[in-house]
Formats: sequence, C-alpha cells, structure tokens
Amino acid sequence: MRARIRAAFAKSFLGRFWGRRSLQERLALIFVPAAIVAAIVTVLIIVLAGPPFLDFLKANLPLVRFVVAATAIVLMTIPTAFVLIYLELKVIARMNLRVGPNRIGPWGIGMSLIHGFKVLSKEDFTPTGADITVFTLAPVVTYVASVMTLLVIPFAPGLIGQDLNIGLLYFFAMGGLTVLGLLMAGWSSFNKYSLLGGLRSAAQIVSYEIPLTLSVVGVILLAGTMSTNRIVLAQSGSFADWFVFKQPLAWLIFFIAATAEANRTPFDMTEADSEIVAGFATEYSGMRFGFFFFAEYVNVFIVSALATTLFFGGWTAPFRWPWSYNLNWFDPLSLGFLVWLAIVASVALFGTYFFAILARIFGGRAWGLWSSLGLGFVFMLVAVAGAVGLAAFIAFDWVQGLFWFMAKTYVFVVTFVWMRATLPRVRVDQLMGFAWKWLLPASLLNIFVTATAVVLLNR
Amino acid sequence: MPARQHVPRQPNARGKAQAAQPQPQPQPRFASAEDVSPARFASADDVSSARFASADDPGIMLDRQIGGLFEPIPPYPPQTEREAEFYSLGDGEMFLNVGPHHPATHGVLRLVLKLSGEQIVGVDPVLGYLHRGVEKICENSDYYHVIDQVDPLEYLSSLFQEWAAVLSFEKLMDVKVPRRAEYIRVLSGELLRVASHTLFMGFLALDLGGLTPILYGFIERDEIVEMLAALTGARMLFNYFRIGGVNGDLNHEFMSRLGDWMTRAGKQTEAQAGLLNENEIFVRRMRGVGVLDRATALRFGVTGGNLRASGVPFDLRRSHPYSVYPELDFNIPTRDEGDSLARYLIRVDEVRESIKIIDQCLHNMPDGPVMAPLPRLLRPRPGRAWGACEGPRGMLGVYAISDGSDQPFRFRIHDPSFLNLEVVPTLLPGNLLADTMAIVSSLDPVMGGIDK
Repeated sequence: MRARIRAAFAKSFLGRFWGRRSLQERLALIFVPAAIVAAIVTVLIIVLAGPPFLDFLKANLPLVRFVVAATAIVLMTIPTAFVLIYLELKVIARMNLRVGPNRIGPWGIGMSLIHGFKVLSKEDFTPTGADITVFTLAPVVTYVASVMTLLVIPFAPGLIGQDLNIGLLYFFAMGGLTVLGLLMAGWSSFNKYSLLGGLRSAAQIVSYEIPLTLSVVGVILLAGTMSTNRIVLAQSGSFADWFVFKQPLAWLIFFIAATAEANRTPFDMTEADSEIVAGFATEYSGMRFGFFFFAEYVNVFIVSALATTLFFGGWTAPFRWPWSYNLNWFDPLSLGFLVWLAIVASVALFGTYFFAILARIFGGRAWGLWSSLGLGFVFMLVAVAGAVGLAAFIAFDWVQGLFWFMAKTYVFVVTFVWMRATLPRVRVDQLMGFAWKWLLPASLLNIFVTATAVVLLNR
Repeated sequence: MPARQHVPRQPNARGKAQAAQPQPQPQPRFASAEDVSPARFASADDVSSARFASADDPGIMLDRQIGGLFEPIPPYPPQTEREAEFYSLGDGEMFLNVGPHHPATHGVLRLVLKLSGEQIVGVDPVLGYLHRGVEKICENSDYYHVIDQVDPLEYLSSLFQEWAAVLSFEKLMDVKVPRRAEYIRVLSGELLRVASHTLFMGFLALDLGGLTPILYGFIERDEIVEMLAALTGARMLFNYFRIGGVNGDLNHEFMSRLGDWMTRAGKQTEAQAGLLNENEIFVRRMRGVGVLDRATALRFGVTGGNLRASGVPFDLRRSHPYSVYPELDFNIPTRDEGDSLARYLIRVDEVRESIKIIDQCLHNMPDGPVMAPLPRLLRPRPGRAWGACEGPRGMLGVYAISDGSDQPFRFRIHDPSFLNLEVVPTLLPGNLLADTMAIVSSLDPVMGGIDK
C-alpha cells in the first residue's frame, strides 16, 4: 500500500519537481519557509502577548528574579565543572611530574570541552537487570541536589540566588540530598560494586554530616544569623575579622568533614577505584555518568565556596580597599550611537595597529602582514577586556566582590586537588571511627567553648 | 522471580519475524547459585543426571541470571569438598568477583571473595588466565632457547628468571663462568631489583589510592631500563644471560648512563618513601594488616622480602651463595612484624642495599672475557640440577633434567610469586575489602610467573 502511494507521488508533478532538486535545494526548500513562518509567529507572539507578559513580570518581580537566578546558577555549573576538570588534570599532572593535557588548544585548555563531547557521544548504556527508572533518575537527583545548594552562596554583594534567613540550614539539607542519588545509583545498578559504593556513601554522609553541621554552629553563634549573606557581612573589614581566626577548630573540622562530604581523596570511599572499581558509577556511561562527574566537581566548588563564605570572609576584600570610585558620572546613553561607533571603531583599529606594529618589531620576519594583524587584533581584544575588567573592578562593588570570592574559592579548590595528588585513601572503618571518635566530640567542644565565650563577652 | 520463557525470534520463509514454538524443557539445568549449591544434590546420581545450560540453549542461562544471580559460580557441580563448602553462602553473605579485570589485581589475578558486609569471610583465588605452558615449551627448545622462553615469566625482573635457568644449566654442564661475567650479572641484576622494588612501592601506593608515587617509581625504573637497554638491547625481556656468561660486554652508553644515575641513585625511591613512610593514612592502612607469622610463612614456602618481613633472615645471596655475592658486603634486612608495612619497608631497605652492591660491583669489576668457551650445540651428560637465585620476589629456581640430548628432558620453574600468593586465603579472612588490595599488593605478585 505504502509502496503504491510512494510510486504515485513520484509520478505526480510535485514528486518530479522534488526528485530533481539537489540536497542543498531540498534543505533550502524546507528551512527557508519554516524560518519565515517562525519569524512571523514570533512577531505575532511579541505583539499580541508581549504587553500582558511584561505586566505579569512586573507584578511578580521576586519570581522573575528567582527564575533568572536559578537559570544563571544552573548554567554556571557547566563552565565551573569544565574549569575544575581541567585544573585537576593539569595540577595533578604537574605534581606527578607529568605534562598533562597539552593537545587541545594552548596548554590543553580545551581538554574538558572535549571530555564533555566524548561523554555526550558515548553510548548511554543500561545494564540488564537494572531498575531502569531509578537508574535513570539517580544522576539527575545528585546533580540537581548539588546545584540547588548554590542558591544560597553569596558570590558578591547583591549576587546571591536567594538570601534565605535559614540559608545554612537549606544548604545542609540540600547537600545531604546528594547522597540519595548515589544510594539510588548503587542500588539500582544491579552490580555489587555499585551496591557497596552506594552503601558506603550513605554511611559516610551520615557520619560526616553531623560534625560538618555542628562545626558551623560556632560560626552561627558568632554571627548571630544563619543567613549566608549576613555571615559574610559579619566578617567584613580586614582579614583579621575572618571567622577562621576566631574558630580555628571549627575550620579544621569543617574542612575535613567537607572533604568527606564532597567525596574527595582521602575520603573517596564511594568510588574507590582500586577497591570497588568505580563504586556507584560502575555501570554508568555516557551523559548519565557525565552528570555524576559534573556533580562531583560542582560539589568541590560548592564546598570551597562555603568554606570561603563561612570562614574566610566571603566576597569581602582581605584588607580595606584604598580606592573607592564609581561610574555614576558616566552615562552611556548620553553619548549617542555615532559617538559610540566612533569610539569602538577607533579603539579596535588603533589597538590592532598598535599591537601589530609591536609584533612586527619584536617578532621579526616570522610575522607576515596578515598574521601580525591577526595577532594584533587578539592582543587588542585581550587588552580591552583587561581594561574594561579593571575599570569594572574599581567601579563596581560586585565585580570586586566576585573577584575576591573566586580567588579565595579557587585556593580551596586547588587544595582539594593537591590533596588528591598527595594522599592515599583511608579505610572505611578508620573513616567512620575518625568521624565519631574525634570529629564529633571536637565539634561539640567547639560549640561549648564558643557559646561560653559569646555569653561571657557579651555580658 | 519466576523464570521467564525466552522465545527466540526466527525469520520465516517470507522474511518476517515470527515467534518460534516454545520447545519442551527437559530436566534441571545449571545456571544459578542455588542450582549449583550442593544442598540441591542429595546423592551423586543427581549430579550426574543433571544437565547444564549450554551454548545451544542460551535462553535458559540468561533468564536465570536476570533473576539476581550474576554469581561467580563455576558452571559445574563443585569438584571438591572445599569448593562445595566455599560456594555455599551463609546468612547475609555474598560473593564478590574481584578480577581478572579489576583495577587493583596485578595482572589477571581473580579472587572470588565471600563477603559479609565488607568483611571477608573466604577467598578463592582463581589462577591460570595467563597460562602458556612455558615449562613444556622449554622442554621442546634447546638449551640456548630456554633463556628467552622464560624471560616473560617474571616480566618485571626477567634477568632473574634467566639467571635461575642459566645457573641450573651451568651446573648441568659444569661450566665455569668468567669473573667479569659474574660481576656484570650481579650488577645488572641488582639494578633490575631496584627497578622492580620502586615499581612495587608505586603500585602499592596506587592500590591504596595514592596517585603520585607510581610516577616517581616509573621515573626511576625508566632510567634503569634505558640503561639496561643500552647494555642488552631490550627494555623488558632482556635475553641477556648466556650459559657460561653474558651476551656482550659493558659498553660506553651503559656505563655513562649508570655513572650518571649513580650520582643520584635512589633519589626517586627516597622521594617515594618520603611520600609514604611518614604518611599517617598509609601507615595506618598497612600496620598490623595481613600479619604473616613466621611459622605460617615457613609452612607455605614463602620466600623473599615477604619471608624476611616475618623475621626469617633467609636470602639465597647469603644462605646459599651463588655468583660473586660472597665477595660483596651487604646486609640482609629483616623485620619481625610480618605485616604489610614490614613487607613494604623491607623493600625500601633492599633498594638501599642493592645500591651498595652496585657501587661495589663498579669498584671491583675485573677485566677479562664475559663468556666461557662453549660449543655451539650443548649436550650435557645425563643428570639433574637445581639452580636458584634471589629475585626481587624471592627464590627463583629452575630444576632441569638432562637425558643427554640438546633439549632439557624435564624443566620445572619454582616461582616465588606463586608460593607467596598461596598465603592470601589465610591472610585475607577477617579483614575488610579495602585490605585485600593492601595485602595482595604488599605480597608483590607477578601474574606472568604465577600462571607460567
């Protein structure tokens, strides 16, 4: 039946017309009308539904703000994970006296991008006998839970997803959810290594969540709030105001417990590759594994960010910043389009010429006309970006705040990587024993001492 | 879960898929743990009358396995009492199949662990994945060819395997080896011992989760291996020792590389040891784990560093001296603890002793030929000879019987790794899963030699 319809179509005028077109022509015939229709529909939607939609947005400003923040945070995890993966590859390689990735882009900086493509293009394999629903959901649960904790991290003044007054409570509640995904993965994979990994992660999180949360209580007592933003504000001033100097024991406990919480060496029991192959992730491949992989590195970033926020002053500068300028005098709209065009064109043109001439002078004959112009253009872009960044750093509080926050956070990220290159893995029973016998009493002691001091000094 | 009927889809004459008629199922088949467990078989008759799931009926095996039963069960009824006992699970126990493709079993070792939680209840090592029948191959090669047949057995220290074969053949033929050749043998052998031990330290750390020491170890090993490549022409399977001497004198490249290395000998090893010896996590994971006491070690025929870590100062270089070792000044490090940490520290000490020996060899190197004059075709008189040397993993021995032809009539290899690995089933039970790697790795097995 189908064959007969096809034959009839081929004989008709339309069929003969279609049969004579080349591939490019066919594609054009499909996509050009589709694009025109899409454009018309878009314009209609904007004209008809635009004003009421804008009214709706204006009426629900907090909702809009939340959606934008949440989207930005979810999108932020991807470059963060990429940077962290590259950092880990490169730093560990250097510590191992290796070169590390050096093929994709300069210094191999495209390596994690390629990793991403690799993971995307791999077969998404589900083992026979696995509980398919749970198996599919597990990476999503882990990833979403770890991303959601980013909501209460204050990146800079005003740059916080949601300034909850129970921010820390929310953080630990969400952070504790990541283990659910690992447990689901371990249980549903139908593999004993996965099962062991999942159970290990459950036991580990249960043990380390307690000292982790208790170690923060000292900070809460000092700051008098659980809002992460106000904890940062309580440490503003110079580095002497950081809570790490008032709460050294809590900081130590926090760091150890956070390492376990992020499943990093020496507490990476859940995916101890030499013992239980890859733990909960043994049966995962493709993008499902990619989600676990992302979640792990996002977790590292989150834990470092929280350490910065709670103990190292968050986005505040480590010393009183001597210059305080603003750009209020500068009104970009007053200049007009032509003036802007002239500024941009002249900067681009003369900047490119300037660096191209430098390349010709210092690069010798190796640089021909076009290659030196290209190099000049790249240098110009870098210089403009640097100049704009510097201006923004001086003028805007949030750029400054973001700079200090990221600088501090990445110190801890590199510390985690450093530990991974240096330390062997502890054993499961030693891990548990350490948590219950040492960390828990120490954190309780810390709370007791802090509370006493707060009561005595405030009186 | 009830067994689902697997219905293969077969193409019919018109090219469309059509469900085949289900076949009537005969008597019980083996596919699962319960099926094979001895409780099911009251008498031997049951065993013999039962049929196995076979390749021509794969549907049954798959369906049964889906019911939660990917068990490391051999697809046959248990052959021995021990096997029957091991392959029956108690309450709350499970099997875990570690290897042969596992990141931390060196080579293709397979350990079937019986676990209760993470605690090991029993172990069944499964060997033979790398078996080539080298001993039989050697019986079919002439005496010269035996040397390169035994090379790949102890692939991390193949010179020692050659040395054992050469020692036994020299006894068989009553050959006097020139002193310079003996010194060269000791020199290259001790270099290879250093390489092997640094690699051991690295792999041990890797199995415990430390990423860095293995690369330090490879740096040291690569320098030594390059040096030996200049001497012998190969990096791994050297084929350098000959009956009555060695193949080729010391050359300039080897000597210059060696002199260069001697100025910083053991530096990487010390760096490795510095990363590990003082590391609290490493020491806590190794100390008191897998204690091999003196009596057990002797009973199982454990040799090498594993035996010396249990307090027995048995080293063939001193106990049954061969080559020029009596002329050299070195110590035999021993320790009394017998745990994994002691086995590790013995290796670190042995590296230092080996460097001492290399130094003495360089200072005392005599002049002269490196080969004894021998005929092309070797036909020793009928007899038998045992030659053994102290390899990095223990006593490497070769027992050869000659029937007067140009091939050994019988050729047997005593491999230290094989005997060292035999203590694993006694050491592991009671420990945790994570200790498997510490214990097996500290025994330093090389599967090439074990499977032969």
